[in-house]
Amino acid sequence: MNVVITPVMIGQVIISGILVGTLYSMVALGLALIFGVMRVINVAHGPLLMLGAYATYFLYSAFGLNPYLTVPITMLLLFVVGVVLQRTLVFRVVGAPELASLLLTFGISIALVNLAQLAFTSDLRAVEYLTGSYIVGPFAFSKSRLIAFVFAAAVSGLAFLFLQRTKLGKAIRATSQSREVAMVCGIDVDRIHLFTFGLATALAAAGGALIAVIVAIQPEMGGVWTFKSFLVIVLGGAGNYPGALLGGMLLGLVEQLASLFLTTQLSEVVAYLLLVLVLLVRPTGLFGGRQT
Amino acid sequence: MATAALEIEGLRKSFGGVLAVNGVSLRLEPGRIYGLIGPNGSGKTTLFNCITGLERRDEGRVFFNGQPIDGLKPYQIARQGIGRTFQVIRVFPELTALENLLVVTQGDRAAAMERALELLRFVKLEGLKGEFAGNLSYGQQKLVEFVRMLMRDPSLILLDEPAAGVNRTLLNDLLDAVRRLRDQGKTVLLVEHDMKVVMGLCETVFVLDHGEKIAEGSPGAIQMDERVIEAYFGR
Repeated sequence: MNVVITPVMIGQVIISGILVGTLYSMVALGLALIFGVMRVINVAHGPLLMLGAYATYFLYSAFGLNPYLTVPITMLLLFVVGVVLQRTLVFRVVGAPELASLLLTFGISIALVNLAQLAFTSDLRAVEYLTGSYIVGPFAFSKSRLIAFVFAAAVSGLAFLFLQRTKLGKAIRATSQSREVAMVCGIDVDRIHLFTFGLATALAAAGGALIAVIVAIQPEMGGVWTFKSFLVIVLGGAGNYPGALLGGMLLGLVEQLASLFLTTQLSEVVAYLLLVLVLLVRPTGLFGGRQT
Repeated sequence: MATAALEIEGLRKSFGGVLAVNGVSLRLEPGRIYGLIGPNGSGKTTLFNCITGLERRDEGRVFFNGQPIDGLKPYQIARQGIGRTFQVIRVFPELTALENLLVVTQGDRAAAMERALELLRFVKLEGLKGEFAGNLSYGQQKLVEFVRMLMRDPSLILLDEPAAGVNRTLLNDLLDAVRRLRDQGKTVLLVEHDMKVVMGLCETVFVLDHGEKIAEGSPGAIQMDERVIEAYFGR
């Protein structure tokens, strides 16, 4: 390929990187919360995002709701799904060796994907609501991506404020800093776990809802989101919530920049190489994670 | 006989094939300071964990103010009024000193805030209330952990090696605080390796060895007990 790379192109990929990175940050914050509070790596995080995407799709196609108005509804629905999953299944593996929680959430993931295939078929479905781009000077902003960015930034910001400022948010952080101590101090950690899993699932669902307006959805769309979220929390440092937000942004930028220089297939590889590199050089994450 | 603050009957806990606590019974009268001593690995911390619900006992019963508490969850036990500190200090490092205290409470926020500030003043840490606990010195973290444990105004206080890694001045402050809590009618059980602390503070001492209670009595009597000397100096 002999392509001349202009400053405008670089500006464009940086914008695209930030837009998509914010979405990564929001979704990954959910995975980071579950890992931080329960030491559970939730392989079903992506499939739960997929359920969120379908929720928005059906609310849009069956009830004619504005897909952006469905975001809070979808989040609420999936919050409940998360709480039910935690209450019935996931609580059994909290505190168990990591392999147990990996196996369980992997099982949940397979079940969700297959149920979705049965219920929704494998057909691609799209929420065709907002297409085209806004043109500002030499730059183009895809409308659906720009609005997804605004929603993701707002939702992440609110989630972050909630963790920093509210009593429940602080109890969640205390539990993630030391579960045993939280228990002995009288914090009802089972309740904290329920709420955390619900909140994390709602964050994934918000991602699904926004993605449904950007690309066509299908039952297997979640896997790559589990992986990317995992990558983001490795980048950001496990259990480091601001790190997850920065890590998402970094992943978005790296992917987009790589796409400038490499073919689409190769640029996907860059993210995975980044994971290997970070694990080799700085396994506690670029922004300093907690040793456990 | 009045109701015991804490009564343990035939407590047994094993990990795999290792009997960590083997049929221990003990009784704490309210408003007194008790010591729990024994060589490393004699089951002291496991006993604490069984009382506070962190470990599930295999056999035996635990009564707090006459009510059974074995089988309850740790947070339920804490809310009934048992406070505990850890051998290795455990503050919430990424919460501020003040948040460390506030986060463990329920209900009335204004009252919690007032109590938290009062407790921080009590250990002279009011000026550092906004500092992340992880940035405080070891001794300051120990104090934060200590007053966090007091937030719920527990009637039974379990201290796991309060003297470890603490300088003399701070230690004397801590011991004074423990005596004052006893004078307020609270019951204290402390695990401690520093014999001077145990002898100076405790009214009754229990000695564990290999998970069994081998002696119980006043500090003076314990020091003369042959089984205790044997447990500490070999047989």
